Amino acid sequence: MKAVTPLLACIAVSVGLAGAYVAFGGLSYEPTAVADPCAPRPQRETTGTGERIEVVLLAAADETACELGVSREDLVLALRSVDELDDLAEREGRSRDDLEDALRAGLVRAVDEAEKDDLIGSSTAGALTFAAERLPLGLLLSVLRGASSFLD
Amino acid sequence: MLIGLGIGLALADSSVVTLALPDILREFDVEIPQVAWVLTSYNLVLALSAVPAAYAARRRPVIAFVLGTLVFAGASLACGLAPSFGALVGARCVQALGGAVLVCAALDLLTEVVGSDGSAVRTWALAGVIGAALGPAVGGILTETLGWESIFLVQAPLALVTLLACWRLRVRPLVEPAGRPNLGANLALLLVSGALTAALFLLVLLLVDGWRIPAAAAGIVVTVMPAAAIATSAVASRFGGLVTRSACGCILIAGGLTALGVLPGSAWWWTIAPQILVGVGLGLTLSALTERALHGRSPQAVHGGWTIAARHAGVVVGLLLLTPVFTTALDRNEDRALRAGAAAVLDSSIPPLDKLGVAQDVLALVRAADREVPDVRRAFDDRPDDAEYRTLEEQLVSELDRAVTAAFSRPFLLAALLALAALVPIFLARREPSL
Repeated sequence: MKAVTPLLACIAVSVGLAGAYVAFGGLSYEPTAVADPCAPRPQRETTGTGERIEVVLLAAADETACELGVSREDLVLALRSVDELDDLAEREGRSRDDLEDALRAGLVRAVDEAEKDDLIGSSTAGALTFAAERLPLGLLLSVLRGASSFLD
Repeated sequence: MLIGLGIGLALADSSVVTLALPDILREFDVEIPQVAWVLTSYNLVLALSAVPAAYAARRRPVIAFVLGTLVFAGASLACGLAPSFGALVGARCVQALGGAVLVCAALDLLTEVVGSDGSAVRTWALAGVIGAALGPAVGGILTETLGWESIFLVQAPLALVTLLACWRLRVRPLVEPAGRPNLGANLALLLVSGALTAALFLLVLLLVDGWRIPAAAAGIVVTVMPAAAIATSAVASRFGGLVTRSACGCILIAGGLTALGVLPGSAWWWTIAPQILVGVGLGLTLSALTERALHGRSPQAVHGGWTIAARHAGVVVGLLLLTPVFTTALDRNEDRALRAGAAAVLDSSIPPLDKLGVAQDVLALVRAADREVPDVRRAFDDRPDDAEYRTLEEQLVSELDRAVTAAFSRPFLLAALLALAALVPIFLARREPSL
């Protein structure tokens, strides 16, 4: 047996296996795409107060994220605490005040639009607007995280 | 047989703790780059001490074998009883020192027992291949059944049993000057050993830490590689001369590693075919390169010491090169997966006002995992067991599994390049007169 025969066989087997794995989708990893917060999202049917509040909060997150130039998901993950929000501000080269202003403004706009669309009543809208404009940032984040216990 | 057991034990130790690393990492509360030192320290000391140990061993091979075995056994006990991570790494260094002396002395003992240099080298190389290949599987099964400490505690009595081989054995001391080592074969051994580190170390990390397969099950999965290596060793000579076998082995190892770098899914069965390729390559190349490095050279123990130094220097290079590549890729992919996971949570159909809670519980698990792969299923432990939550849980686990699998891609591909690089010294030195 010539020395080159086993070498060619080994190359064929190796390339064959790697090629087959690539053909099965081996090099195709991409994380699930994250939607652009500035682009309109499809309207969702809502059945209860909880879902309506969710729509308002997600719309507020989209408004704020769009203004800040970050994804809605990064913003939501940063709402865990004031420290996380500070980390996000630092990563984006913004001040805490920029983020806080954008968050409050986004929430107020989303509440206004939801009230105009009859998605939420005026009392819920008033409570949310009050929270957005007046509550200290730490307390506002607590309200957003625990909104269900207040509003469901 | 007993001498072979001693060689196998000492060389298995370079990889035997691979499957125990996640348990050691948790017990001593260290991170992946630190825990890799349980492997790195052993291989580094073995690489640095093999040649001096070989020079020392050739004067009194039997005494050197006995002393090396006693040090190895004592240090194994110390590893199993180590009260801290520092003590464990320190004991591993002493264990490697004993291992270096016993492995190098064993080559002279084998020459006396089997009667010829050629047979002794083949037996010595085969024992090394079997030890290195079986190490992770045996370590994984011991870790799962008896705990990681048992890996070391079992080794001590086994090592002492090998001393029976020295009963009434007399070996003529060799004091002739040693010639220069076979640079090409040893350099190829270094590169291919670096590549094999990826196959053993990264594959185990992927199975246990990445895909959360229990260590014993992972141990069974990775037995494919040693099984293929041992089966191939039996028929290796049919592949041709030493150069052809070495080159074929490197190509197959590179092919297997490339396939591991492009895994299409996150399930253990995808690793079987690449493992067979790596195992066959291991069976072909390690013994061929070792035989080549020792062919026509004297004294055998010294040149055997050079091969041990080259192999374990390669393991160290592999660990130092691949661990940061892997951890960086893991960090980057984890961030991307986290964002995708948050999108999955926000767009899911779980009760709307629990979405932020789930997203933040998952984030807390990621942060707490601190450069390990988080178990996101724990975020669902205290949540309702209904279809919406189960669907989201599976979505998040799948997102993370894909991200983790992709994070291993680059180090496996880099290791494949190391295996291919070994072809250069193999072909450059192919005209050596001793072949």
